[in-house]
This record gives sequence, C-alpha cells and structure tokens, in this order.
Amino acid sequence: MKYKDYYAILGVDKSAKPDDIKKAYRKLARKFHPDVSKEADAEEKFKAMAEAYETLKDPEKRAAYDQLGSHAPGQEFRPSPDWEQHFARGQTSFDDIDLADLFAGFGGGDGFRRRSDPKAPVAGRDYEAAVRLTLEQAFHGTEVELDLSVPEYDENGVVHRVPRPVTVRIPRGVTDGQRLRVPRKGGKGARGGRTGDLYLDIAVSPHKLFRADGRDLFVDLPLAPWEAVLGASIELPTPAGPVKLKVPAGTRAGQQLRLAGRGLARPDGTAGNLYAIVQIAVPTVLDDAQRALFRQLGETSAFNPRAHFEGEATHEA
Amino acid sequence: MKLEIAEAVDEDERGVLTLAQLIELSDLPEEDLRALVDYGALAPVDPAAASWTFTASWVVVARTAGRLRRDFELDAHSLSVVLRYAQRVAALEAELRALRARQG
Repeated sequence: MKYKDYYAILGVDKSAKPDDIKKAYRKLARKFHPDVSKEADAEEKFKAMAEAYETLKDPEKRAAYDQLGSHAPGQEFRPSPDWEQHFARGQTSFDDIDLADLFAGFGGGDGFRRRSDPKAPVAGRDYEAAVRLTLEQAFHGTEVELDLSVPEYDENGVVHRVPRPVTVRIPRGVTDGQRLRVPRKGGKGARGGRTGDLYLDIAVSPHKLFRADGRDLFVDLPLAPWEAVLGASIELPTPAGPVKLKVPAGTRAGQQLRLAGRGLARPDGTAGNLYAIVQIAVPTVLDDAQRALFRQLGETSAFNPRAHFEGEATHEA
Repeated sequence: MKLEIAEAVDEDERGVLTLAQLIELSDLPEEDLRALVDYGALAPVDPAAASWTFTASWVVVARTAGRLRRDFELDAHSLSVVLRYAQRVAALEAELRALRARQG
C-alpha cells in the first residue's frame, strides 16, 4: 500500500483543528473542483484533496490515519500489527488496495451507496473516466480501451483494488464536452441492487484544419484573387475525405460556403454541416510580368472596394 | 478469449425518468431534489402531475447538483444559485466556441 500525506495535500499541520481542515479543503475545492476549474489537472488535484478531507474530517478515520505513522508520500508501507489489530476489520492483505479504499469501510460504510434499510438492495457505484478523441475518431466513431482501476468489495465487505479493462464503442458524431454512459460497467450492486454505470467525459482535441461548434464543422478556405473573382472548382478536405467544391464567381472574403450534411453525425441519422470560410490570399512574390498584369487590371477596372466610405463625415488631421 | 465491447450511449437515449430514478442517479436526497424543482433549477415534464417524471437531459444537471452538494456541502438554495451560474457559464462558453469556430 502506498502512503499519502493527507495533511500535506490539504496544506495543514498534523495538529490542525477540524475547522482549519474544513477551511483548507473549502479553499482548495473552490479553486480545483472540476465543475469550477478549467485547469488541466484540476480533477486529479481535486480527487486527492477530497480523499484527504474525507478521512481527516472524520475523527475515527483521522485517528486511524494518524496511527499509521509518517512515511514519504508514495512510499510502500504496511500498517503495524497493533494497527491491524485495532483498525483492520478483516482486511488481511494490504498489497492491492488504495489508502482511500481502506478508509472507505470505516464508520459503517461498505463502499456502496448509503442506505437506510440494511436489507434493501444497494446499487453499485457509478464510475467516471475521461476520454480524449481526435476529430476523426469523433467523426467516424471508434473503440477505446480503458484500463480502469476500481475498488471491489468481496462478500466479507473487504475492499480490493482490481484492474478493470473495458473496451467501449464510441458512436460516431460525439462532441467535445459530451457525456456518454456505458450501462452496467460500473461497480457491482449488492443484495439484488443494480450494477452501476460507467460515465465517459468526452474531450475532442483541436484539429489543424477543422473547428467544431456542436455538430457543425468549420474550415478556412484560402482562395487566390482570381479564383474568387472568376469562380473555381477546388478540392476541399473534409473528415470523410476530399470533395470537389464549386466556388461561385464573385465570392467574397468571409463568405461561408455550406456543405450540407458533411459535419458530425446526429443520433437521429442526420448530420451537421461543414462550412468553408473564404479567405482571399494574395501572392506576396510577383515577377515583372505578373506585376504588370495586376497594374493593368488596376488601371482598367472601375471597381471601388471603398465606395461606402464616400459621403461619410471626416476630420482632417 | 472473446473480447466484449460495451456500447456507449448518449444520456438523452434514456428517455424519461421517474423521480426515484433521478434521485438514485444524482445521489441527491429527495428533499433537496424537490427543493431544486421549487427553485426552478430542475423541471419535471409536468410539474402538476402526481408523480414527477423528467426528461433525460436533466440527468447531467442533477448529477452536477449531487456532486456540488457533496463536495461543497451546499444546501438546496445555494445549489440552485450555483447551478444557475453554471448554466450561464456553459451558455457563454458555447457562444465563445461558436464564435471561435467561425472566426478561426
């Protein structure tokens, strides 16, 4: 079993009063709670401090924790025989358990959901896992392999941390921030209670070309001035592969060309759209002949892109 | 060995839930869940019905409420205020995401 320094995690002394422990937890929770913080490692930090608080706020658990003695964080250790005699409650092996699981059984808890009737069916725990996908995986759907490590209680109520590999099929069309449920892949229930579910928090990594808003996708489409003026047939990348896109003559910068149904799939079988946002790119290196052509165009064209400025009141500098 | 592949489903595919199911999924006490309905933080399909039912879209809100209640030791009224702010933040984030997607 690996040692965790709960006092250090909460930033308090071993002699801290219950009120100081509560204050320290609340201060840190306000900063790192995953529903509040957007910091990348907030969830991990919050889990550690919630675990520390869960033990230190309870006088019985805190006393048992203190009796474990001091070790370096992460150091493998085994409780003393005295400790086992006073606190172990049937736990004989300490090799495959987490410190938090050891204390979860204190105070009458058995790791299941709380209940008022001791004979009533008890639902198993719901588990949560974060899943990061590429945009292509979100578009096509994919299978992900998760290596969960979960606390499992044997028939004597003794906890064991066991590996739980799960392969999950992610449907196509999932979006960033979406929560998926994998039925019956959580903890086992007791006395006929339902098995818990596994919840997946989906994050979709930024893509070098496509940006997503819900199930609509956006891609920048740079056009040469002559393609925008004369129209063109160009090859446009989409997550499903390149398509031919007809750019109409007279296309302006900022215009959105819609490719219906080329976005992310919806559960009802329809799909979002792909929008190509037009940018006019200009060549920065010209040879003499090309410069002459542009000059000729400038001299012969009556086009005034700033016609709407005319008639506006101005002040001379 | 046969490899079992579990199917992930969207929360909305649950359809409609009973009050008891929402209590179990959110880990909220019934008293708090009823108070959240009174404060307008959760909305049953028909508030006047003898037995409330909820569309599956409320599961995420109720589970968030359950987490916040447990982790911050909040009462139902404080929860309803925090949930309102959380919804406003989510709406602003969605707007920001939409603008960024369009502007690059």
